Amino acid sequence: MYVFGRAFQEGNFVLKEKSYVLEYTVERIHLGWKVTGTVRGRPRRVEVFREGAPERLLVNNWQSWGPCRVVRVRDYVPPDRIDPDWQYTASVFPEQLTKGLQSDYFVASEGKVLGFLSSRIAHPFFFVENGELVAYMDFFEANFEEPVPIEPFVILEDPNTSLLLERYAELVGEENNARRRTKAVVGWCSWYHYFLDLTWDEVVKNLKLAKDYPFEVFQIDDGYEADIGDWLNVKEGFPDLETVARVIGEHGFAPGIWTAPFSVSETSRLYLEHPDWVVRENGEPKMAYRNWKRRIYALDLTREDVRGWLWELFSTLKRIGFRYFKIDFLFAGAIPGERSRNVTPVQALRMGLETIRNAVEDAFVLGCGSPLLPAVGFVDGMRIGPDTAPFWGDRVPDIGVPAAKWALRNAITRYFMHDKLWLNDPDCLILRGEKCELSLQERQLYAYLSGVLDGIVMVSDDLELVGDEGKKIFSDVFRLNGGRPRVLNILGEKLAYEIVSFGARSGNVKMYVDLEKRTFNLEVDDGLSIRRKTVERGDGRKFHFYEGVRGDDGTQVQPTDR
Amino acid sequence: MELRYNPLTDEWVIVSAETQKRPVQPSKVECPICPGGLELPEEYDLVSFENRFPSLKRNPPEVDWKEMGPFRRERSFGVCEVVVYTSDHNTALPGMPLQQIEKLVDMWVDRTRDLSGYDFVRYVFIFENRGKEVGASLPHPHGQIYAFPFLPKRIEVKIEAMRKWYEEKRRCVVCEVLESEGEERKVYENEGFLALVPFYARFPYEVHIYPKRHVSTLLEFSKKERRDFAEILKIVTMKYDKLFEQEFPYMMMFFQAPFNTESVDHFFHFHVEFNPPKRDKDKLKWMASVETGTWTFINPVVPEEAAKRLRETEVVL
Repeated sequence: MYVFGRAFQEGNFVLKEKSYVLEYTVERIHLGWKVTGTVRGRPRRVEVFREGAPERLLVNNWQSWGPCRVVRVRDYVPPDRIDPDWQYTASVFPEQLTKGLQSDYFVASEGKVLGFLSSRIAHPFFFVENGELVAYMDFFEANFEEPVPIEPFVILEDPNTSLLLERYAELVGEENNARRRTKAVVGWCSWYHYFLDLTWDEVVKNLKLAKDYPFEVFQIDDGYEADIGDWLNVKEGFPDLETVARVIGEHGFAPGIWTAPFSVSETSRLYLEHPDWVVRENGEPKMAYRNWKRRIYALDLTREDVRGWLWELFSTLKRIGFRYFKIDFLFAGAIPGERSRNVTPVQALRMGLETIRNAVEDAFVLGCGSPLLPAVGFVDGMRIGPDTAPFWGDRVPDIGVPAAKWALRNAITRYFMHDKLWLNDPDCLILRGEKCELSLQERQLYAYLSGVLDGIVMVSDDLELVGDEGKKIFSDVFRLNGGRPRVLNILGEKLAYEIVSFGARSGNVKMYVDLEKRTFNLEVDDGLSIRRKTVERGDGRKFHFYEGVRGDDGTQVQPTDR
Repeated sequence: MELRYNPLTDEWVIVSAETQKRPVQPSKVECPICPGGLELPEEYDLVSFENRFPSLKRNPPEVDWKEMGPFRRERSFGVCEVVVYTSDHNTALPGMPLQQIEKLVDMWVDRTRDLSGYDFVRYVFIFENRGKEVGASLPHPHGQIYAFPFLPKRIEVKIEAMRKWYEEKRRCVVCEVLESEGEERKVYENEGFLALVPFYARFPYEVHIYPKRHVSTLLEFSKKERRDFAEILKIVTMKYDKLFEQEFPYMMMFFQAPFNTESVDHFFHFHVEFNPPKRDKDKLKWMASVETGTWTFINPVVPEEAAKRLRETEVVL
């Protein structure tokens, strides 16, 4: 093992190179070692760590939708080309993906996890080169006149790799002051039934039907806005957003709204009025990605006027009543390019995230399509996989495009981030049997696994189409969540996993899932044989009365009374 | 009511004048937790309620300053609950029907889940002080739960000791003790649990109960383990009462892993400690200067002998 080119050893060291000076410390921590330090000068790409590559690696893509999967290192064949329309979803350095195996932020192998604890300035990643696993920090073109902290790096070892991944997530959470919410989020989202065809009439219809569900949040997704970037202007047929929030609130739900706040379409009023607000390349607006049949540019988040606009947008949405913000396509904020200030793309992204967090104050923020480490501490929830879909997606390639199968795979392989970095969002449950290609078993598999993994529970259906079967699946989810999940064989190469959750609402749970065969087996321990009734006395004290229930009646689940 | 920091020992002290008002050993006629009593006018089976005289509160009073020179203080967030095991005033764990103790175990599990859901809670401490010798203020069978906003000092010490063991051996220390124990210190065992006088007992007749499976909190107990746990609690307390043919005073304490903080599940093994003050039928072991001041215990009864006496004290369920 080599750290900054020197044989591994604990202590304090100085690395002097032509263009930079790096001072660092290697110290012992629980289950391993931690490398911290500072850098001054123009470091560009710095090699942090090097050792022989293991046979199998759990590799991770930098943003929400990208795959987190096990790869046999020797057999890995890099892709021939990366789709230029979506290249920055694949990597912040898309050109190097065709050259070899890359993993962003961390890797795991049998008994070992190597990982960076933050991405505040640099983009940290791993690359397999000539049979060696090498960790880098890329500082882009930044020049630091004063020393700045490097992204801390850890080497963790224990026979239990799942434990190491959980420990790694815990350290990342601590390092970034992760926002931790103990209460799960349950709600409705319009996307996976209505997609872009959302109408106000359908919103109102579902609001009425939603009273039969324990939803807290009711979130309208993409499909209400006039254009990407023109978030306060609604499309024809929608009332103004203040009315939207008010009507949702009147039905007893926290109003939720989708935006892609760092994206701006070439046709939007925002872009036409402020063409100078976007990230450039060779002086010309640079396409961040192509979607909605349009070129999408990235806002230059280093500009004060852009951040002022962003703050105004989100504080307005908050002021008119929205309390749940799904912010999407966040990777756009971190594409390489020319910005008004000479900071790294990672720093630019974080300036945007910080602006949104300050504007919405304590409201719930769900990140999506987001670089993972830079967002820790700003978001309450995070999508940790690609979009799900009303189809399984056996033939869909594993490159971050929508498919129930790959969304679930990522929910499994990134399970350890939940409750440590944020609340994991495994993406929405689809409960309806109509207008949906998922079989009953596939819908159950998705819902039950989401329950066992204890993440955010959002339903995305025309609720008129959800029958008793779907309602039963939904209620069963709440017997399965609330525990501490662990994927036992996370380094398995087949898509078959054994997952346990201790202390779930109905007791201990074991779930075996096979994503290739689309099968599952669920073992649920018997629940408590008591029933609780909580009474609050006149002096504000809570009294919890218990009585026994007979036999299987005891498996009932009670939500906490807060 | 507030928390004060002791920089000499790096620990928090709860200052609560409220607790001074607690009743002391009221008679059955005026028992506040009997059905019809001050706290519980209604009929009930089991109940856990927030103490009228708490040390910690969900909505504690503000403190007007937090740091002044060497002094630090904080609001005393937390929950203090009184856990009433049964409506029957004239019984105790050893005399309660097994089925009632099974319900009690389930109640402890539910209380742990509920209280750990408060984001300010770091530690859920379940305990029972039995007998006036250990300061129990009510004879009605009950225990208490303190949901702390910090890790109490002894919990920190346990965690650090277990962490150290794990780092050196990559094994849980209690799992290793379980493997090494034979008959010598055993008091009782069933499929899920072992009750023993530990090799390192500090009190005469100290008994620990260890789950045989590595679990860190009550929440992880299977249904079978919950039943086994109820049984072993009943057996141990029955043996205690039979030992000197008298109601045996004890402090019963459950040690589980903390919540809403760094996970220590891999090395922290749930366990119960019974710390009884009796060293003989009519003699007490006091927590005197050496024990209180230095945390060094002088145990006048050899653990193996205490275990033998308790093991051979026969009780029938």
